[in-house]
Amino acid sequence: MPEIASQELRVVGFLCNWCSYGGADTAGVSRFKQPTDLRIIRVPCSGRVDPLFVVKALLNGADGVLVSGCHPRDCHYSDGNFYARRRLEMLKKLLPFLGIEEKRFHYTWVSASEGARWQQTVTDFTKRIHELGPLHAKKEVTP
Amino acid sequence: MAETGFIQKEKLNDFIKELSKDAVVYAPCLEGDTVLFKAFDADKTVCLDRPANNPPKLAIFPQSETLFNFTYIKDTEDPKKMSVEIKANTEFPKAVIFGSRPCDANGFLIYDRVYIDTNTPDPYYMGRREKTTIVTLCCNAPSPGCFCVAVGGGPANNEGSDVLITELEKGYFVEAVTEKGKAVLNAPQVESGASYADEAHKKQLESEKLVKNPFGKDCQPEISMSLFDSDEFWEKYLSKCLSCGACTYLCPTCYCFNITDEQMLNNGERIRSWDGCMFPHFTLEGSGHNPRPTKFKRFRNRVGHKFVYYPEKYNGVIACCGCGRCIRYCPVSVDISEVVSYLRGSQPDVSSGTKENAVTDTVKQEQK
Amino acid sequence: MISQKLQDAIAGVSDKVDVVIAYQQGFDKLHATPCFMTTPEEIKNVIWNPLCVHNLTSYLPSLKKKKVAVLAKGCDSRTILQFIQEGLINRENVTIIGIPCSGVISVNKILQAINHEPVEDVSFDEKGNITVKTSKGEKTFSLQDVCPDKCKTCRFPTPIVYDVLVGDPIESNKTYDDAYADIKEFENKPIEERLKYWEGEFDRCIRCYACRNACPMCVCQDSCIAETRDPHWISQRATLSEKFMFHMIHALHLAGRCVECGECERVCPMNIPVNKLKRKINLDMKELYNYEPGVTPEDKPPMYTFNVDEVTIKEHKI
Ligand code: SF4
Ligand code: SF4
Ligand code: SF4
Ligand code: SF4
Ligand code: FES
Repeated sequence: MPEIASQELRVVGFLCNWCSYGGADTAGVSRFKQPTDLRIIRVPCSGRVDPLFVVKALLNGADGVLVSGCHPRDCHYSDGNFYARRRLEMLKKLLPFLGIEEKRFHYTWVSASEGARWQQTVTDFTKRIHELGPLHAKKEVTP
Repeated sequence: MAETGFIQKEKLNDFIKELSKDAVVYAPCLEGDTVLFKAFDADKTVCLDRPANNPPKLAIFPQSETLFNFTYIKDTEDPKKMSVEIKANTEFPKAVIFGSRPCDANGFLIYDRVYIDTNTPDPYYMGRREKTTIVTLCCNAPSPGCFCVAVGGGPANNEGSDVLITELEKGYFVEAVTEKGKAVLNAPQVESGASYADEAHKKQLESEKLVKNPFGKDCQPEISMSLFDSDEFWEKYLSKCLSCGACTYLCPTCYCFNITDEQMLNNGERIRSWDGCMFPHFTLEGSGHNPRPTKFKRFRNRVGHKFVYYPEKYNGVIACCGCGRCIRYCPVSVDISEVVSYLRGSQPDVSSGTKENAVTDTVKQEQK
Repeated sequence: MISQKLQDAIAGVSDKVDVVIAYQQGFDKLHATPCFMTTPEEIKNVIWNPLCVHNLTSYLPSLKKKKVAVLAKGCDSRTILQFIQEGLINRENVTIIGIPCSGVISVNKILQAINHEPVEDVSFDEKGNITVKTSKGEKTFSLQDVCPDKCKTCRFPTPIVYDVLVGDPIESNKTYDDAYADIKEFENKPIEERLKYWEGEFDRCIRCYACRNACPMCVCQDSCIAETRDPHWISQRATLSEKFMFHMIHALHLAGRCVECGECERVCPMNIPVNKLKRKINLDMKELYNYEPGVTPEDKPPMYTFNVDEVTIKEHKI
């Protein structure tokens, strides 16, 4: 992957199609200013997010990972985010055991109408990752 | 140039450091309670007390290596046209394998027939092989599972080595086996060895007697093909096998590989990596059909390759050097030497059998 | 002798099953090996001693259609309960010959203590000591000093589920907290140290997949995503990040399912502490979802279910 100029870090976002992706879209349409570090990957539902997606991203170059879905009880597939919540909580507790700061990973719920909330989430999370600095400073990164 | 030499015990580490001045030295290093062949550096502790958990094959046949890098380049005139640029690396650094055992060195001879002595030699294997000097340490005593003498080797066998070292009370007696090996004797830590030769050769003969020979006197175990072909035999004996890769990956004579392309948008690399017949994917066909669907069929291939097919192709040479690693590290203690001794009998009587029974059965058969 | 009682117990059930899975002597005196018996004549080869370390129940899912009798120690019996929870075996096809166990032996610990010398003989005394003879002489060890770590804190020495029990039940005075003390201790190390530890351990991995194949709960086996090209999770490169990723696959696919039999760790030819990550996850499963794998047949693994209101999960703020 080409070196990214400037001070940008790599933040990967897994966003569910029905709520958070819409929320990000709303923020964009409303022209809310957001940091540009985030690369969004659209998934059908937060229940599609295998914790291994997060780990793979972190091991292969991401400095932070954000997962966002519909609010509990609002999942388009009714249960997806309930399963996601259990898995992602488990992962959050496991990361520090491996020696990876749990703050590099965040999961949350943002609905399609919450453009401002989305803007806040991205801004705060990106700020936090910048405080932590790059994860892969000295390490080999295999593409 | 001297043919023999002697290194004082306390100078051994300096000797290894000396070798590493102009070569990558792969030596058995201690990590916790594991002994691993690794590229040596001053932080590592060399352990010669017992054979390493892994064989030194990685020095010449790495677990994974890039064969070449490729890049797709768009034609600026005609965007539909693509050309591909390939960069292969066949330059390899000078290397020394220090502290291999006679079985390990023998293993490379088994690879040579396949990778070098053909009309299409493998440039990667050959390139590394030519640049590598193999300094072998004779074994004082066998480790659990060792059976080198049964497959034509021995704890002081020098085939495949460039230098042979024998541990004596005060130090190490060093013998050059090949021209390449003589250069090693020029290191400043090596003193004259002539006066130690007798002691060393006596010791070598003694260790030879300690190694078990599960195949009896004939170093060429006659395998009964009717047993070899019987599914019942394998199913019975191999039900416990987990079909993992511990035996093949730790084997100094297993040389199967896989080739895969790892591609990004318009560049990537072709890599060659170890593979093994114990893995289901090894024979999985594109259609989804797997000709070796069960673990016992896979193990039959492993035994067959070493004790039937390879000898058929290469003048009766067995493709197993008896290092015992697959026995020592098998999670469920599958013993290849035991399986082969069963295979010499004509009765698939593994049920009540112990190894001794299988051997006496053959003897009885012969007497008849 | 327990071996005799065991052989009698096997003889008692052997005509009702297709195969009996037990232990027999391995390639040397220090190793037992699993055996699959289909005829009564073989029963005399069966042995039972603290070197019978393997979790034989691992073979059950692959024999789902057959009638099988299997030996199970206390810890092994948890595997069976987990299989039942996940529908991986037909309980009525399995005859469990339970053996109360006062601890097994870590062959690696013995080998380390005898400097990896070939073993000439092994014997056990009444007190549970093991004496190992090599060409350098004899050494006696107390079971406590050479057992795997799991046995030191074992809470289930008597099988939780069985059809026949050979020997008298054994009680344990160990607590849940005893079993996870080492995990808590590791959690208190500085974070950089933790990362360095895992990188050092995983770097040795040769991806032989012995840990995976020995794991009773790794039931995908031939279709494991660590090896498939499609999906292409990891490549064949022998780099640290690929090895790390493999271990994450193993650990996360075992989340809330690992019965802590320790097979993964026992079989690793590179001596990597493969079980540690899963035990950490188990600790969290207990805290978060009050769940412990393999203790009752009725439980539901926590990743297979959810609560609409998760009282133990607080919303995270950035
Ligand atoms: S023989 Fe042993 S090491 Fe080889 S695949 Fe079977 S279980 Fe694994
Ligand atoms: S088959 Fe086993 S004993 Fe023979 S060379 Fe390979 S690892 Fe060594
Ligand atoms: S058994 Fe050990 S070396 Fe083999 S894949 Fe598992 S951790 Fe890696
Ligand atoms: S992960 Fe290890 S300890 Fe857990 S069930 Fe599998 S083999 Fe047993
Ligand atoms: S669809 Fe948004 S979380 Fe399920």
